[in-house]
Amino acid sequence: MKKDEGLCLGIESTAHTWSVGIVDFSGNVLGLHNNMYIPEEGGLHPALVREYHILNFKDTILNALQEAKCSMKDISLIAFSQSPGLGPILRIGALVARLLSQLYEIPIVGVNHCIAHIEIGRLMCNIEDPLTLYVSGGNTIISAHESGRYQIFGETLDISIGNMIDMIARDAGLAHPGGPKIEKLAAKSEKYISLPYVVKGMDLSFSGLYTAVRNLIESSDFGKNYTIEDVAHSLQETGFSMLAEVTERALAHTNKPELLLTGGVAANKRLQQMIKSICEDHGTRYEVVPLKFAGDNGAMIAWTGILRYKSEGGFELSHTNINPKERMDNISIPWRK
Amino acid sequence: MEDINIIKGKVLHKGAEASLIHGFWFGKEVIFKQRYPKNYRIEPIDKQLRVTRTLNEARALIKVKTYGLNVPQVFEIDINTSTIIMKFIEGKKLKDLLFVLDDKKKSKYFYTIGEFIAKLHQNGHIHGDITTSNIIITPNEDVFLIDFGLHEYSDSVEDKSVDLHLLKRVLISSHGADFKKCFIAFKKGYLSNYDLNGSNEGKYIIQNIKSIESRGRYVKQEERK
Repeated sequence: MKKDEGLCLGIESTAHTWSVGIVDFSGNVLGLHNNMYIPEEGGLHPALVREYHILNFKDTILNALQEAKCSMKDISLIAFSQSPGLGPILRIGALVARLLSQLYEIPIVGVNHCIAHIEIGRLMCNIEDPLTLYVSGGNTIISAHESGRYQIFGETLDISIGNMIDMIARDAGLAHPGGPKIEKLAAKSEKYISLPYVVKGMDLSFSGLYTAVRNLIESSDFGKNYTIEDVAHSLQETGFSMLAEVTERALAHTNKPELLLTGGVAANKRLQQMIKSICEDHGTRYEVVPLKFAGDNGAMIAWTGILRYKSEGGFELSHTNINPKERMDNISIPWRK
Repeated sequence: MEDINIIKGKVLHKGAEASLIHGFWFGKEVIFKQRYPKNYRIEPIDKQLRVTRTLNEARALIKVKTYGLNVPQVFEIDINTSTIIMKFIEGKKLKDLLFVLDDKKKSKYFYTIGEFIAKLHQNGHIHGDITTSNIIITPNEDVFLIDFGLHEYSDSVEDKSVDLHLLKRVLISSHGADFKKCFIAFKKGYLSNYDLNGSNEGKYIIQNIKSIESRGRYVKQEERK
């Protein structure tokens, strides 16, 4: 098998989504199948998510293979999410990937989840060197490529924006997933309630905002002086203004000609509108990753695996252990100059 | 601000938050620091941020000036346009100078900056954005600190350490090769001015930087200790 042709099977397993993507070495996504764990109540309990993934991973792999009209024999590379994420869940992805790799004697590569988000965005939006705003349930990162790394210019100091919105939705009694529901509610109000706005240089903090909003919901004035719509509106406006300000600062600092918006929260129309407005002010090209590839998915793992395999070859089995706390700015990017 | 005594010239710098405009105010050479409205955010947030940050910055500049530290003098504030009119400081940004200075000069400047920040901290001021772009070296080799937009009042060791941690991060990411000697000189200057009357607070503040670093996201277990 030549190095520039083949099929890669990518396994994404960092949190609630178990996803398998099949991508060819030129970057065409042939198959992609997701299986998402939805908690009956509360948040993600790592042990429960792990049990769910163990029960369901086989069908997801088979469905993806079927969609790509191929079998395990046609696969020439296995990629899996190696870092960062919830330990027990990462371990299942790594285990299945090692198993497949050894059973079928296929090379294996580990992939950093955050870098995969940027790489699939670059592929899908046909963009060369963007500043990336990556906002999801687990991460809030402003990153750009500089001196051989995806450097982190700004990030959350505590919880992520998606995590905060989900927790508020839960406190308000909205069912999972909370983000789209909060967005819908927010669109119905224009009444702004003042909330804490915390920006430290290019870093952000959302925990104070969360507490303030929870206090609003738990207060006896809730439903009298203001409604859930007002709270959702104020929450979105404050949180997204913080993101927008930091993004603008990073844009002015790095002078990148392009901006990429990705992650699950990128689906929010109000956030898109704000970031787009900043890009127009700075004459920056604005791209948002299509929803299918903005959230966690196996195709991004497969594609980033291909990039690493092409420049460095496969990993030794002893280098495939998971790394739940790896920072993306620690990892070299040999496929970019 | 329609006044023949106020002349606005060219825009020197357009930052993410404010623009710096060169000009004259009653014959004095000044900078107009103007925070423009941002149309991406709703009006209540926009107005509140611009007004509070303008007032906060002006107050801090005036207060810090009274300790005899080198910061631009404030002449006038216009809340309606969120503009501060302040003295123009001639000189170069330390960020651009660092590449041409010799080691002795670098240490000298960072020692002075250390003394400067110690005095600020002792009086309960947190600058919030100590970067090499916010330090100006005048032709007389005086050190000026500018941009108090993120200024806060605090007496806690934690806040002061965070302030220094930001400087450390900037030095590592933008001036990696010079980081060690610059930061050592900085710490010397800082301690020499902070722990004057036998207190140990300056030392605690510097020690606490390590603890802040270990609290970052995705720091490995062994580095936390």
